Amino acid sequence: MRIFFDAEVLAAAWPGICSGIGVTLGLALTSIAAGVALGLVLATVRALLRGAPLRPVGGLIAAYADVFRAMPPLVLLVVLYFAAPFAGIELSGFMAAFVALGLVLGASAEEIFWAGITSVNRGQWEAALSTGLSRGEAFRRVVLPQAVRLTIPPLTNRAIATGKNTALASVVAVPEVLNQAASVQAQTASPAPLLLAAGVYVALFLPLVRIGRWLETRFHIR
Amino acid sequence: MSEFFQTFLNPGVMAESSGLLLRGLWVTVQACLIVVPGGLFFGAGLALAQTLAPAWGARSLSWGVDLIRAFPPLVLLVLIVHGLPFLGIEPPPLLGVGIALTINTSTYYGEILRAGILSIEPTQWEAARSTGLGTMATLRHVILPQGVRNVLPDLAGNTLEAVKLTSLASVVALPDLLRMARVAQGVHFNPSPLILAALLYLALLWPLVRLIRRLGGRAVLPA
Amino acid sequence: MSAVLELRGVGKTFAGVPALRDIHLAVGTSELVALIGPSGSGKSTLLRCCNRLTEPDGGEVVFEGSPVPAGGAELASVRRRMGMVFQAFNLYPHLNALENAALAPRRAAGLGQGEAETAAREALERVGLGDRTTAMPDELSGGQQQRVAIARALALRPRILLLDEPTSALDPELVGSVLRVIRSLKEDGVAMLIATHEIAFAREAADRIAFLADGEILECGPPAEILDRPKSERLQSFLSRL
Repeated sequence: MRIFFDAEVLAAAWPGICSGIGVTLGLALTSIAAGVALGLVLATVRALLRGAPLRPVGGLIAAYADVFRAMPPLVLLVVLYFAAPFAGIELSGFMAAFVALGLVLGASAEEIFWAGITSVNRGQWEAALSTGLSRGEAFRRVVLPQAVRLTIPPLTNRAIATGKNTALASVVAVPEVLNQAASVQAQTASPAPLLLAAGVYVALFLPLVRIGRWLETRFHIR
Repeated sequence: MSEFFQTFLNPGVMAESSGLLLRGLWVTVQACLIVVPGGLFFGAGLALAQTLAPAWGARSLSWGVDLIRAFPPLVLLVLIVHGLPFLGIEPPPLLGVGIALTINTSTYYGEILRAGILSIEPTQWEAARSTGLGTMATLRHVILPQGVRNVLPDLAGNTLEAVKLTSLASVVALPDLLRMARVAQGVHFNPSPLILAALLYLALLWPLVRLIRRLGGRAVLPA
Repeated sequence: MSAVLELRGVGKTFAGVPALRDIHLAVGTSELVALIGPSGSGKSTLLRCCNRLTEPDGGEVVFEGSPVPAGGAELASVRRRMGMVFQAFNLYPHLNALENAALAPRRAAGLGQGEAETAAREALERVGLGDRTTAMPDELSGGQQQRVAIARALALRPRILLLDEPTSALDPELVGSVLRVIRSLKEDGVAMLIATHEIAFAREAADRIAFLADGEILECGPPAEILDRPKSERLQSFLSRL
């Protein structure tokens, strides 16, 4: 059992893992912000263009959501990191992970916002338009606030999933928590750094998972 | 444009690497055949346990589930595949991957099935009980058939996630589709195998995405 | 009497099925016109064609002397002066009564926050809900919700109100409070076009009644004439079944 909690190895791994926490958090927060923003913008465009002559745009957005729902994030990351350079696009590991996680979250966020928007009763649009609000104002003041309420629990869960998926970045040599632990593990041939990393992930994500569960019961929608 | 095709969709490279990719695809399919049924089986067990356990038992199970969910799947995978050998247990790679991903995905299947069970009116329990059915028989013949139907889109959605999850196996050197694509890319120094692998994943999973849409699957996926 | 709102030969077809056919109807200043007719006869469509929530495919809707514009800010400006009240209220569930009524004055008419709230408060007082300004819609009874919806339209000081079966979704004991508000608005000289199943109310409050069947106005005239001396067979059988 001692091998799993080797104090010397743990001490050697600690500084790296600490700096890894910073990278993990940085990657998580930037990709979540970008993904949610992307999803919101796309769903808004799709909602405002509904029924308008630019309808194909809505179809394109739906197709984007489908493709990135079908694509494993790791496959996307590997393609971005290892294939894009052949097209002259050199992304750092961090950038590749940021783009991959942002695109994947953007797709599910778009779907979630869209589902929220379409679940708002048509009468709400009509009431707003009948009082002379523009489409944009009706969307912003009447439809979106109601839609966002419905999107909070699933969006929280997707954001947590994105945070956890930052561990994938270890594959493209981003020095986040898992990557740091793995490199010390390789040097010391001890599983202790991995266990430490696992502990760090639990400390970071267990509270968030509990919050996600609480939100689900609080804003029960089904 | 033709240069683009030569680089990213090179027919020669794709033809030469197709053997490797197909072998990888077979490994991916095997992983799915472990993870999806395994996840459903243990998920169903978890859902039943949470339904039948007394309140404190259900509460501790929910903490256990959340503890597992707090691990990024890749961390769980690395921990099991690289950690178990230190305990003197060395499962074959495919089995190690299967165990790790089954643990992860069964917690989601479990929550979905539990939601399905909870979606059934208590009057159904009472009706079944009044005809003399026991708890297990009621669950099996009355509650689960209806409950599963109610959460079919979510079950399909989680199956999609489980299949996507198997791509993680490449990280622990299991020669799955993604891993083989990397190998072929290294051999040919050309990204076409990677693109082909990505297209294969799309071809595999796009129909599932469309099916979920037809089932009326909400965008609300488990995290 | 000059017409506030006039429909000239308005028609509408849904997927090949005619919903409105060659509708001619005018509502004068301070006039209350009631639309009666069986469900599905086109009453709702007729009202919705007035402010183009439903796009008519033929004819012309003239509001205050000019055709209702097809879209953009011009249409929005017409809609502000043409209040609409829906059968299902369609209150904004995330806003309280005052915010429901103040939203359009603030965001559509461009009043300041204070002015918009004053307009909303006055409108709520007018429908007898001056004391419920901070109530959320789900804290109000159906009748109160519908009165908030009327206040939401009134806060913009419209020239005409379009009311789409405003009491049909209400429990019988709540109908009276809404009808009382509508009557008091008539006394104040608000022009109204109202689709309704409340024949007794139409008889007593309407200046004219139009009977709609299969998307056509079969008869139109003063209540006594329409209700007591129906000419068409359709209207006779409609009235006899009440």
